[in-house]
Amino acid sequence: MAGTTEDKPAADKEEKASSWKDAIYNSRTGELMGRTASSWGCILLFYLVFYLFLAGMFALTMWVMLLTLDDYVPKYSDRVPTPGLVIRPKSLDILINKNDPANYGEYVQHLENLLKNYNDTLQEKNELCPPGEYFDQDLKKEDAQENQGAEQPLGNEDVNARKACQFKRSVLGRCSGLSDNTFGYSDGKPCVLLKMNRIIGLKPRGDPYINCTSMTEAKIDFVYFPNGGSIDKMYFPYYGKKAHASYVQPLVAVKLLVNKEEYNTELTIECRIEGSNLRNNDVRDKFLGRVTFRVKVVE
Amino acid sequence: MFEMGGGVEVKGGKKTKKEKKKERLEGVKKEMDIDDHEIPIEDLEQRYNTNVTTGMTSTFARQVLERDGPNELKPPKGTPEYVKFARQLAGGLQCLMWVAAAICFIAFGIELARGNFTCFDNLYLAITLIAVVVVTGCFGYYQEFKSTNIIASFKNLVPQQALVIRDGRKDTISAKELVVGDLVEVKGGDRIPADIRIITAQSCKVDNSSLTGESEPQTRSPECTHENPMETKNIAFFSTTVLEGVATGVIINTGDRTIIGRIATLASGVGNEKTPIAIEIEHFVDIIAGLAIFFGFTFFVVALFIGYSFLEAMIYFMAIVVAYVPEGLLATVTVCLSLTAKRLARKNCVVKNLEAVETLGSTSVICSDKTGTLTQNRMTVAHLWFDNHVHSADTTEDQSGQSFDQSSETWRSLARVAGLCNRAIFRPDQEGIPIPRRTVVGDASETALLKFTELTIGNIEQYRNRFKKVAELPFNSTNKFALSIHELEDPLDLRYLLVMKGAPERILERCSTILIKGQELPLDEQWTEAFQTAYMDLGGLGERVLGFCNIYLNEKEFPRGFSFDPDELNFTTSNLCFCGLVSMIDPPRATVPDAVMKCRTAGIRVVMVTGDHPITAKAIAANVGIISEGSETVEDIAIRKRIPVERVNPREARACVINGGQLKDMSSDELDDALRNHPEMVFARTSPQQKLIIVESCQRLGSIVAVTGDGVNDSPALKKADIGIAMGIAGSDAAKNAADMILLDDNFASIVTGVEQGRLIFDNLKKSIAYTLTKNIPELTPYLIYITCSIPLPLGCITILFIELATDIYPSVSLAYEKAESDIMNLKPRNPRRDRLVNESLAVYSYFQIGAIQSFAGFTDYFTAMAQEGWFPLLCIGLRGNWEDTHLQDMQDSYGQEWSFSQRLYQQYTCYTVFFVSIEICQISDVLIRKTRRLSVFTQGFFRNKVLMSAIVFQILLGNLLCYCPGMPNIFNFMPIRGQWWAVPIPYGILIFVYDEIRKLGVRRAPGSWWDQELYY
Repeated sequence: MAGTTEDKPAADKEEKASSWKDAIYNSRTGELMGRTASSWGCILLFYLVFYLFLAGMFALTMWVMLLTLDDYVPKYSDRVPTPGLVIRPKSLDILINKNDPANYGEYVQHLENLLKNYNDTLQEKNELCPPGEYFDQDLKKEDAQENQGAEQPLGNEDVNARKACQFKRSVLGRCSGLSDNTFGYSDGKPCVLLKMNRIIGLKPRGDPYINCTSMTEAKIDFVYFPNGGSIDKMYFPYYGKKAHASYVQPLVAVKLLVNKEEYNTELTIECRIEGSNLRNNDVRDKFLGRVTFRVKVVE
Repeated sequence: MFEMGGGVEVKGGKKTKKEKKKERLEGVKKEMDIDDHEIPIEDLEQRYNTNVTTGMTSTFARQVLERDGPNELKPPKGTPEYVKFARQLAGGLQCLMWVAAAICFIAFGIELARGNFTCFDNLYLAITLIAVVVVTGCFGYYQEFKSTNIIASFKNLVPQQALVIRDGRKDTISAKELVVGDLVEVKGGDRIPADIRIITAQSCKVDNSSLTGESEPQTRSPECTHENPMETKNIAFFSTTVLEGVATGVIINTGDRTIIGRIATLASGVGNEKTPIAIEIEHFVDIIAGLAIFFGFTFFVVALFIGYSFLEAMIYFMAIVVAYVPEGLLATVTVCLSLTAKRLARKNCVVKNLEAVETLGSTSVICSDKTGTLTQNRMTVAHLWFDNHVHSADTTEDQSGQSFDQSSETWRSLARVAGLCNRAIFRPDQEGIPIPRRTVVGDASETALLKFTELTIGNIEQYRNRFKKVAELPFNSTNKFALSIHELEDPLDLRYLLVMKGAPERILERCSTILIKGQELPLDEQWTEAFQTAYMDLGGLGERVLGFCNIYLNEKEFPRGFSFDPDELNFTTSNLCFCGLVSMIDPPRATVPDAVMKCRTAGIRVVMVTGDHPITAKAIAANVGIISEGSETVEDIAIRKRIPVERVNPREARACVINGGQLKDMSSDELDDALRNHPEMVFARTSPQQKLIIVESCQRLGSIVAVTGDGVNDSPALKKADIGIAMGIAGSDAAKNAADMILLDDNFASIVTGVEQGRLIFDNLKKSIAYTLTKNIPELTPYLIYITCSIPLPLGCITILFIELATDIYPSVSLAYEKAESDIMNLKPRNPRRDRLVNESLAVYSYFQIGAIQSFAGFTDYFTAMAQEGWFPLLCIGLRGNWEDTHLQDMQDSYGQEWSFSQRLYQQYTCYTVFFVSIEICQISDVLIRKTRRLSVFTQGFFRNKVLMSAIVFQILLGNLLCYCPGMPNIFNFMPIRGQWWAVPIPYGILIFVYDEIRKLGVRRAPGSWWDQELYY
């Protein structure tokens, strides 16, 4: 009795010292983190099966879900009811040193990149549509069903493919970069391209056009290309990337006729889509049918 | 490393505290060694500069008052309110949340420093975390405050007055102004104003039950009868009451230096033990923190590996750690506990500390005081011996028990003696009150007899009027009998009737005949032996036995008008006729034996710890089942086998009665051994310190100890216990202050209810926690996938908070209403080392199985919502950089449409909502499976828990409100989502339900198997 009580504290100490190590690896029982190798094997196998099953179920549900999707038209487009408006160059703070080509070279590059697809040679392949009318190419219902069901024979053109209306770069006149490949940046009268976001099936009512205003006291004149900054209805509706591969959206170019007096001052300009049902006054989305940007020209 | 350092320090701190306490304990013991009761009165006069006839001079008294302070108990140093409140904010979970909040602030600070002024999620999260802690803290504080108020309402605030003799004049002053040396006079009904040494006394009896646990009145007389101040008869203690008689005495101790004061100080010196639930929650926090850090670190490494900067990886690390904090759990636990507390309050158990609710459920030993807890604290006639038979009287409080045969002629004589030879009377105007509860003027045994006769022969006042009393001799300790002489009822019978009662042996000495079946038989050897046997038997039951006899006085010798002189005894007092014996006891409450039995089936040991005498204690213990039938003590075995006590193997004895004297000589190891070897223990004649030692010993043996008690002497033990339970009606303020729980109806059976509720809440808390924890994973995985696969964020911070703190609170609380799965009162108490509230398998099952299914459900729904709006799953991966680019206003989706940033943001909110809905749907399934851990949900009753059903409805309605209430998108980032997205997670919900049914089936079918071990939580 006495012997055991004497041993107790010593044993306790030993236990305490080794318990920490034992938690990770117990050499006596061969337990690693409280489990033996076979126990680990069992539990890992269990989880492997469990997660494989879950992953399988996940894959199955995803597959079923993807089957319900249409390749051409998104199931819903309620998150994008009206288009946003963006500008090129890709900056809302345009700072131009008109004497330094390196400075505005980046902007010119942005414009060039966009307008590449609008080269006249490319656009001439596209349809010449009657202006002022929607270019509706809706398939009749039977056709659509037939097309969806049938395998597309290889080499044949997609039956769902839609034609696109041409938008020649040359329409943009002085801002087309054809006559002036610096888009007016070199003489301090920069061009800004305005682009309306593509939205499948969108048909703007009215006659949409772009109107820009200066938000500061400085008076600037704007020159719009095409004339009046109008966006022709023939470019609508859009049928999606897959069906409408050659589609280009209509552009409006604005040339800012910045006077010498306004050099070195920051000019705030707002452009809106006017004359249609497209929203341009959303409180939260500042890019819905409008865009505000700042320009500063220095010499 | 950090923790270990802390642990050592804490331990060190404890040790010094313990040592201090021990010192104080010793100190108190030593201080008890006073000799004021032993020294001659002259010395006493000198010592205190007083005079036993004229008292002190008032000038000197004033000086002493200035020196010693007023004669009142310093109110126990109440914890300041702000400390109480702070304690509510410093539990295990609370600490976890504080740390999380701090991390959030740091993360927010880092974000700010990096110039990101748009992301306020971390700030909101930190504020919410703090708000949750503070709000639940307020709630807990309010609960505590409310129950403290209930307790405070018991306090008797009437200032006490005392009759003091100073300068030879009697004067009534406030008891506060009394000083050591004052000469005071007390009479029946008074409370003793301080510890006093009795100088003169006339048949003075005091009720010491609140101090020592003796329910019998104690005689006080000027002689010193024992060297121990607690045992001697010439000291009366502060706060005990004088039952009858008058006495004068010199005050020897005032205020906190009185015995009561010392016990109160002792109680306040005993530290409160941590409640089992607090320990469980700490254990749980350890698990959570461990997992959080493990996960956080893993993804920290992964993030670095993917190519995030160190700072970004650090922010992710913090976010993951914080995401692991179950924000809603604190509220759930608090609400569950207070629900149970409320339920208990309806059953007359008021809980002072919410956590104590569960403690009762874990209790494995109840150390119960006897007087007032197990017994009624009311002397009652228990047995009668007449016609050579022992008859049992009905001792139940409500007279629901069996009565005995009252047809015998002997009984009529016995009842007449008992009714007439009795000076006790009912206080007037008590017609409406049941007889056992009426207040009586008179000593305890006469009271018992009065009530007994009132119950058996009817209106005793009228009865006494019929037998006009002509003379009486009250009981005194030298004669040990009382007698009275009455005229007879029949006016024609001119004999006098002498009735006498007293100590049985004294009564028998005076008898020559015995009444058997109405006939007077000579009292021969045979009857004497019968008497002796009966006397011994009743005495052995711990009962106080009185003998009764009578005689019709000879008409010629004592004609009408004879002047009886009781002091001279000028009449016949021998050759009387013996009627019978009546024995009295403070009987157990009617509900107690049943409750003790229930405790036994619930695996709870009931140990009696009392200040009363061993024989009485043992008798009551046997009576209520603490010592079960057939159990023997060492002494019993010795008597049965006719061998000396030393030769009995102590291990044979199931029961054991230890008295305070023996306990004093035992080492703590011996006490542990005794507790281990004898399942049925009774401790008698124990002092408050010894009660404390017994509780400590039980705790050393790994038990969770509940202590019940009512007296001041119990308060240190009440405080030391894991849960102290005080009696609401009979309990003293000291006991109530020290206790964690109060039984408003003083009913021991309420404890059983408490145990049941405690066990149920433990089980249900387990379910609630499992439910609450599960959703942690589907809340966390979106973030992990967001980091590793760079998908647009599927679940936002605010949405998570809504799940945690709004929609899921009610369902998790509703699990508290779940009925027990099995008969929990037939199980052993849980083993605090093995049966944890949150064990590894619970966490693993919730996190890695159900939580995983929920995550998959969420992602299915997320990808569905993305794909149907135009973002295919494969496109989503790696999309994050552009998606979150605020300058990119024309981002193309899978169909070539271009999205502005705001449009993408609303799409992201749609994803949040969809993920939210998925978690909700899965959680509905989850709450259903959590109804049971072992049984099938269908056996348990699918719709039986109405609260749970309403919680599910509530959850769905709230979910709908969040989704479809106008304005939600911009305030809380909830979007009105399409109906079918609610349906996407339903297959996963069904999977959860089916999988868990399979799990339970396996657990039921193959107990002890691998499946059971790994999957039963």
